[in-house]
Amino acid sequence: MKDKWANHKNKIKLVNPANKRKYHIIVVGTGLAGASAAASLSELGYNVKVFCIQDSPRRAHSIAAQGGINAAKNYPNDGDSIYRLFCDTIKGGDFRSREANVYRLAEISNNIIDQCTAQGVPFAREYSGYLDNRSFGGAQVSRTFYARGQTGQQLLLGAYSALMKEANKTSLKIYPCTEMLDLVVINGIARGIVTRNLINGGIETHAADAVVLATGGYANVYYLSTNAKACNVTAIWRAHKKGAFFANPCFTQIHPTCIPVHGDYQSKLTLMSESLRNDGRVWVPKNKEDERRPNDIPENDRDYFLERKYPSFGNLVPRDLASRNAKYICDEGQGVGPSGQAVYLDFTEAIQRLGASTIKERYGNLFDMYQRITSSDPYRNPMMIYPAPHYTMGGLWVDYNLMSNLSGLFVIGEANFSDHGANRLGASALMQGLADGYFILPYTIGDYLAGCTPGNIDNEQRAFIDAKQEAAEKTDKLLKINGQRTVDEFHRELGRLLWDKCGMSRNAGGLNEVLKKIPQIREEFWKNVNVPGSGDDLNQSLERAGRVADFLEFAELLCLDALERKESCGGHFREEYQSEDSEALRDDDNYTYVAAWEFRGVGKPAVLHKEGLTFEEVKLTQRSYK
Amino acid sequence: MLDAYLKSSIGRKQIVAVTGLLLIGYLIAHLAGNLLIYLGPEAFNHYAEKLAGLRPGLYAVEFGLLGVFLIHMLFTATLVLDNIRSRPVDYKMKTAQGERSWATRLMPYTGTAILLFVIWHLLDFTFTDKFGPRSILSDGQSYGLYGVVYNAFTDPFHSTLYIIAMLAIGLHLSHGVESFLQTFGLNNAQHAITVKEISYWFAIIITTGYSSIPIYVMIHYYSH
Amino acid sequence: MSVSINLTLRIWRQKNSKNKGRFETYKLENIDTASSFLEMLDVLNERLTKEGKEPVAFDHDCREGICGTCGAMVNGKAHGPWWATTLCQLHMREFRNNDTIVVEPWRSKGFPVVKDLVVDRSSFDRIIKAGGYISVKTGSAPEANAMPVAKEKAELAMDAAACIGCGACVAACPNASAMLFAAAKISHLGLLPQGQIEAQKRVVGMVEQMDKEGFGNCSNEYECEAACPKRISVSNIARMNREYLKAKLIP
Ligand SMILES: Cc1cc2nc3c(=O)[nH]c(=O)nc-3n(C[C@H](O)[C@H](O)[C@H](O)COP(=O)(O)OP(=O)(O)OC[C@H]3O[C@@H](n4cnc5c(N)ncnc54)[C@H](O)[C@@H]3O)c2cc1C
Ligand code: HEM
Ligand code: HEM
Ligand code: SF4
Ligand code: F3S
Ligand code: FES
Repeated sequence: MKDKWANHKNKIKLVNPANKRKYHIIVVGTGLAGASAAASLSELGYNVKVFCIQDSPRRAHSIAAQGGINAAKNYPNDGDSIYRLFCDTIKGGDFRSREANVYRLAEISNNIIDQCTAQGVPFAREYSGYLDNRSFGGAQVSRTFYARGQTGQQLLLGAYSALMKEANKTSLKIYPCTEMLDLVVINGIARGIVTRNLINGGIETHAADAVVLATGGYANVYYLSTNAKACNVTAIWRAHKKGAFFANPCFTQIHPTCIPVHGDYQSKLTLMSESLRNDGRVWVPKNKEDERRPNDIPENDRDYFLERKYPSFGNLVPRDLASRNAKYICDEGQGVGPSGQAVYLDFTEAIQRLGASTIKERYGNLFDMYQRITSSDPYRNPMMIYPAPHYTMGGLWVDYNLMSNLSGLFVIGEANFSDHGANRLGASALMQGLADGYFILPYTIGDYLAGCTPGNIDNEQRAFIDAKQEAAEKTDKLLKINGQRTVDEFHRELGRLLWDKCGMSRNAGGLNEVLKKIPQIREEFWKNVNVPGSGDDLNQSLERAGRVADFLEFAELLCLDALERKESCGGHFREEYQSEDSEALRDDDNYTYVAAWEFRGVGKPAVLHKEGLTFEEVKLTQRSYK
Repeated sequence: MLDAYLKSSIGRKQIVAVTGLLLIGYLIAHLAGNLLIYLGPEAFNHYAEKLAGLRPGLYAVEFGLLGVFLIHMLFTATLVLDNIRSRPVDYKMKTAQGERSWATRLMPYTGTAILLFVIWHLLDFTFTDKFGPRSILSDGQSYGLYGVVYNAFTDPFHSTLYIIAMLAIGLHLSHGVESFLQTFGLNNAQHAITVKEISYWFAIIITTGYSSIPIYVMIHYYSH
Repeated sequence: MSVSINLTLRIWRQKNSKNKGRFETYKLENIDTASSFLEMLDVLNERLTKEGKEPVAFDHDCREGICGTCGAMVNGKAHGPWWATTLCQLHMREFRNNDTIVVEPWRSKGFPVVKDLVVDRSSFDRIIKAGGYISVKTGSAPEANAMPVAKEKAELAMDAAACIGCGACVAACPNASAMLFAAAKISHLGLLPQGQIEAQKRVVGMVEQMDKEGFGNCSNEYECEAACPKRISVSNIARMNREYLKAKLIP
């Protein structure tokens, strides 16, 4: 295990340096994964085209990450190691990820910090001038590097600057405001993509020797999530429809510390960094009818339910546990706030212990953000929080080389089914995105390219012309429906349904019900949606309509996978499979596999392929945070 | 290299700033000389003569000064024109968000006022007959340049115009000095507030220093 | 808790960069004051859609004040009246019942209007491309702790690095100058030892590109700092001026 990556790299085929410029690579997405990959590939000498929806690569959704990025540097000397990071990630993922991939991730984590520091990422430092670490997301060691509350933004600016440096070469071209609408596959090999220019509506095709998807996660299928509004499933869903397997779609992560929903107009949910749980204490009033203001409720009448249930981890239990317990408590009517869908996160004790200035130093910007949104002062009143969809562990299936089952289609970052199994630990998505982009894909893509003749990039072929035609027709069709309901209304309806039945906890009855409803909503969508405006200029309704249309297809697969996986693991909690004290019960005998789904047509059940998982280094154990 | 510097936004504003600084230097020196008026006609005229005695060397300084003045205005003009072009469609509604002072907003106007003042001022005191009728005070004697200045400021209208011009200079400087420090990167977050204060107090000193002369003359004249 | 207000909106509508725009007036009723400014625009757009009209195009993505996508002039102020806030984080609590709100796009030669409130900020990317990076190749980085950086310096660099590239500085600047944006990047990299090697080339390249894009000159008006949602300090502009002078005149 320890040497697998090194050995693999040694054996991998290399592309002759003089030949690299003959190969063309398409990278879709400029988040941490996409930007780092595109920059690194361009440095190697390949021709690269990079696409993103935003008006600048720097605005990809990775920018929103607050908390930090893990690495096994063991600077604090608290016993961390690559092996420990590896174990934690495997366990955190509830034994539903590949050991070899995770080990490689842990191994590379250190190079990432070196690379980013050299790029000028202003990580927090100690007075000595050396890098500072904090503990994050329930880890027992301090291995998280951070840049104030803006780690994602700073890392992305690093990757973006590397990309912009490469943009001075003619061999790298950036296409902002461009959405990928389809993947072109010829004889089982990914050959290119179809895109729409969001400013002038132009539909174009691009051919290449390899296509890399780095298009992020699909948490927006729930409508309300912490993801940026443009996050979508379109790119990977269309690839899936062209033959790429979709793995573990039901593994979605619900983040415990978000600002609760406060009205129907709500357009997104705001995450409050998980680091808040380091010092904040989660509680609800013991008495359902307690109408007192939180500060007037004495200690005895408070239920610190996480500390009560998990004495050793307390408020720092993994995300899935923290979220689910908040849901239970609220379902039992103990929730607070106008909707009853919230719990308190209280800093009073921490402020007394550490002083308001220390708290301000640690969380000042988060507190400001909270106050700005809710107009309530968290230094004086406890925050109110509630879980929200946040991250998706599922994604396109990839092999050790990060290539999907379609030759020439590589998938990196949150878009692949990733190294996080059934649950991702805090501060490890940034690590994975950058590991994929800087240090894995640039090697493994060479292995593939070395085996194919370069320059096979003619987009005049039939397949391209057809795909372009099809994309244009779909756009046209959406514009012509002229129905009664807006795109957002459909999206909200779908989201609400999924949140209720396939959100934090799921059961067969609910899933079957949704599986019946989704096709109905989809049908109505195609009859009754109203997409105003035209297709040949900036039309944000049209953009959303295309994405929602894909969510409406994808949601079915999400629920099907959730129904099929008759166990509870990580973020996937099936009510039928729980222990007496309502803890998740895995079924290792029957479900220690990756569910890779093959598309068979819209509305037709997908076909399940199973990739068995074996655990040699870490023994399968039931997680316990008691 | 220099060519690119002189064409660049930062280069040009630094030229405006250095020339501004030189002009400030002149203002200080000129004020010092002018304040000799308080010591009476002899001292003041003596100083003027001494200066005149420095010719033809003084011509060089004067032309230098003229050059500095012209460069200051020329570069300013290119910056201001650029700035007009940089927003081809203007806002229908625009509200200040910061502490943008009037001094800041009025820079081009106070600058123009200074220009007009200087032209008038030169006609007034420099290109005039220093021993002609304007130099004769109420006792019927010519007091040379002292007399010219004294006579000019006995006219309240004349004095008021001067004081208004001095206020324009004050405004120009209250932003100008601070701006100069910023333009040369001598400003930073820690002492931003002192930079503001330096600028403000300097402007007040220059304005009151100069304005005191017409005021003094009027008080002197009307109380006798 | 929740309060609703009625509003009159005067919004700039412009079909594309070639068309001339104009203001349109819309009346909105029952806007929850807990909603954000963009959510208020969502409500308007849902209504316009239902009326068969084209919704107002406005840029946004993260809606939590970090991506720098959103932005418009609200009653003459970039990102609206709140201090240190992006438009998406401006909440309707700021407004009173029956207020009239004027909404315009950023205006600058460097930011041509794309549609309605959406402008093209690709000029910012080109400024970064002209030197806003440290040319380290993937794989060639030394051990991160090999080069300590004084905490104060690191903090100052972080202050500057917080720029989200929204363009409010340009929008608010009376001269439509992009100095604060450029200075933030130049300071961020220039303050760190890693960034020193290319410091001169960077400042020269970026300033040149900034001028080329048609942004105005700085006359030290400090409106940019006041409008900046991340409170980027104008002392960064001072630093840039110094670095530029050094790069140009001191060989
Ligand atoms: C609020 C928040 C906080 C987080 N905090 C942390 C944290 O502290 N630590 C941590 O490790 N992780 C964190 N995460 C998770 C982490 O940020 C993401 O998982 C990660 O950044 C994903 O990176 P990515 O490169 O895969 O995709 P993204 O950054 O999502 O980028 C996707 C890119 O693909 C492009 N794209 C998408 N679809 C298309 C299309 N159809 N056509 C063209 N382009 C397309 C987009 O334009 C974008 O450029 C957080 C996530 C959220 C939501
Ligand atoms: C005694 C004469 C003058 C003095 C001492 C003076 C001084 C200064 C100083 C110190 C500055 C600040 C430069 C900077 O931005 O860093 C300045 C700026 C300016 N000056 Fe003057 N100035 C004088 C005359 C004029 C005249 C005659 C004009 C115009 C006709 C003028 C117009 C301006 C303008 C518009 C600016 C702002 C330029 C900018 O920052 O873009 N000034 N001046
Ligand atoms: C109350 C205020 C002032 C008084 C009493 C005053 C007085 C004079 C006098 C007497 C002269 C003639 C000197 C000579 O010819 O020997 C003179 C010249 C001049 N003054 Fe002033 N001055 C005043 C303000 C200013 C200001 C504010 C400026 C600049 C903005 C200015 C700029 C000049 C210049 C450029 C000359 C010509 C210098 C030369 O020929 O060398 N003066 N002034
Ligand atoms: S400096 Fe401030 S206002 Fe300007 S782009 Fe950066 S964040 Fe926006
Ligand atoms: S407002 Fe404009 S003039 Fe300079 S200080 Fe800021 S860029
Ligand atoms: S939408 Fe991202 S900053 Fe406002």
